[in-house]
Amino acid sequence: MEALWGSPPKGRLFPTRRREPGFVRPEVCALKILVTVKLVPDTNADKRIDPATKRLVRTGVETVLNPFDEYAIEAALQLKEKLADGSTVTVISMTPASGKEIVRKALAMGADDAVMLSDDALAGSDLWGTAVALSAAIAKQQADLVITGTQSTDASTGDLPGMLAEKLGLPGLTNARSLEIADGRVRVQRETETGYMTISAPLPALVSVTKSANEPRYPSLKGIMGAKKKEIVQLAVADLGLTVAVGTDGAKAKLVDLATPPVRGKGKVVTVSDGAEGAKVIVDFLKERKFL
Amino acid sequence: MKNVIAFIEHKKGAPRRVALEAATHARTLADQLGGKAHAVVVGPGAGAAAEILKKYPLDQIHVSEDDRFLDAAVDTLETVAKAAGPSLVLVGNTMIGRDVGSRFAARLDCGITADVTDFSVTGGTVGCVSPKLGGLVITTCQLTGADHGVAAIRPNVFAAKETPGAAEIVSLPSSGKASTLTVEDEVEEAAAELGVEEASVVVSGGRGMGGPGPFTTILKDLADAFGGAVGASRAAVDAGWIPHGHQVGQTGKTISPQLYIAVGISGAIQHKVGMRTSETIVAINKDASAPISEFADLLVVGDAFAIVPELANLVRDAKAAHA
Repeated sequence: MEALWGSPPKGRLFPTRRREPGFVRPEVCALKILVTVKLVPDTNADKRIDPATKRLVRTGVETVLNPFDEYAIEAALQLKEKLADGSTVTVISMTPASGKEIVRKALAMGADDAVMLSDDALAGSDLWGTAVALSAAIAKQQADLVITGTQSTDASTGDLPGMLAEKLGLPGLTNARSLEIADGRVRVQRETETGYMTISAPLPALVSVTKSANEPRYPSLKGIMGAKKKEIVQLAVADLGLTVAVGTDGAKAKLVDLATPPVRGKGKVVTVSDGAEGAKVIVDFLKERKFL
Repeated sequence: MKNVIAFIEHKKGAPRRVALEAATHARTLADQLGGKAHAVVVGPGAGAAAEILKKYPLDQIHVSEDDRFLDAAVDTLETVAKAAGPSLVLVGNTMIGRDVGSRFAARLDCGITADVTDFSVTGGTVGCVSPKLGGLVITTCQLTGADHGVAAIRPNVFAAKETPGAAEIVSLPSSGKASTLTVEDEVEEAAAELGVEEASVVVSGGRGMGGPGPFTTILKDLADAFGGAVGASRAAVDAGWIPHGHQVGQTGKTISPQLYIAVGISGAIQHKVGMRTSETIVAINKDASAPISEFADLLVVGDAFAIVPELANLVRDAKAAHA
């Protein structure tokens, strides 16, 4: 089998175990798979902003596991089950300490353990600060494969996977609808607008998986019970050895204004008796609005 | 920051529409900042794309035929940005644009804002306006002036406008660096078509369509009559009636077309947040009390299967009359 570890790129942030003196890669080596997860406001709740405080009204809005991350967890679990060689799945989340219950959901789905990066100093982090702190926490885990979702449902930027890959100095195989491991490489089908590309890279690597990758499982009762006993390692900013400020003060994109868009009012409702009448109502409306 | 660099996403030399929108708006922003408007176009066909870009109001077009997937774009942007000094990089808020923009921002340690729908320039500082939480709030984020910055612009919001210019074409050599990603093959599964993010008219179907058929027949036909794209609600995608690339909503795409036609879609919050910033919303539904009645500009209550084909004919007639 070819060597799994190439020499790491210089000056990057990924001090993996391959650098340890005397490390010899055994013929068969279980993978450490790391999955990033985020907590978001419930996607089905009708959220609103308090006009006075300009903050999200949290009353009645539950916090849930980011739905896109469930595909990442499922992909990791399926890979672990397929490899069946003692590979492990660890979830990692940059979240306030109150997010523990959500992290437990990922454990209940079948992840082996979890890492929480919680620190008041992280509040107000922009994407750059999040990438700096989370990549430093990920680097400490010495994972072989990092799996993320493609985006969150709250900020919806979709930028974190690429930023993490760059900060970690790892190949970033984004928008994967399938992934497989063979001969020390990860190979994915990357979605494109019109089909897919097959892309591969040597491990360690980062993969972001799309919604078409799988159907996330529901936690079983046994999984839920078992999750309570699984370890959640707590990390704080001081554990990361950062040389730059993150959080509100370090933000490179600073939030300066928050506005509520004008409310879209109720429009015209017309009941029609047949197709021709319905089509005419719409065409007249579109002509009025200068679409036609 | 003073300068603006538009990253040009293209397919074999044909720029995407959002790339031309970035090229056009780069000029506006550069004028406000008192700097130069650059474009960076990378990969096989970059030279051909540069010829098209000459019609846009740019100062310099940087061309590299380096064919490494993603890596070449990030490396070239880095080279151009470092030479130009603190710059605002405009990418499209597309899969490729996000990959390139995010990696650039991480590499150069700068701010990045996604899904930008407007800018405000004060002095040398750029404020990026973008809707968050599915359009529930409109945020403005300021990029720090001393660094570079990245803004991923929402397709279809900024105008692409040809103007006679005299952009200088600058050829850049390939870096010679190794690729971090190996592209083994590329497979086209569907005919190239306009995505829901870029189409100015989107015709979407939901649970009321009852199966996959209408998405490739009556909805497609209506979308074609407008020169638009077919979208779908989560219910339709989860049922497997249409691939998820077409999904509009919180777990799909957030879009702002000029006209959104929702057919057999109830308008649950999940869907609403993906399309409520559409300029005009027309709904066809058999239920007058569906949630979509609360925010559609026009709701026609009736049989979609009868209305949609008739509507496609009338739209074609109206377009032909204008042609």
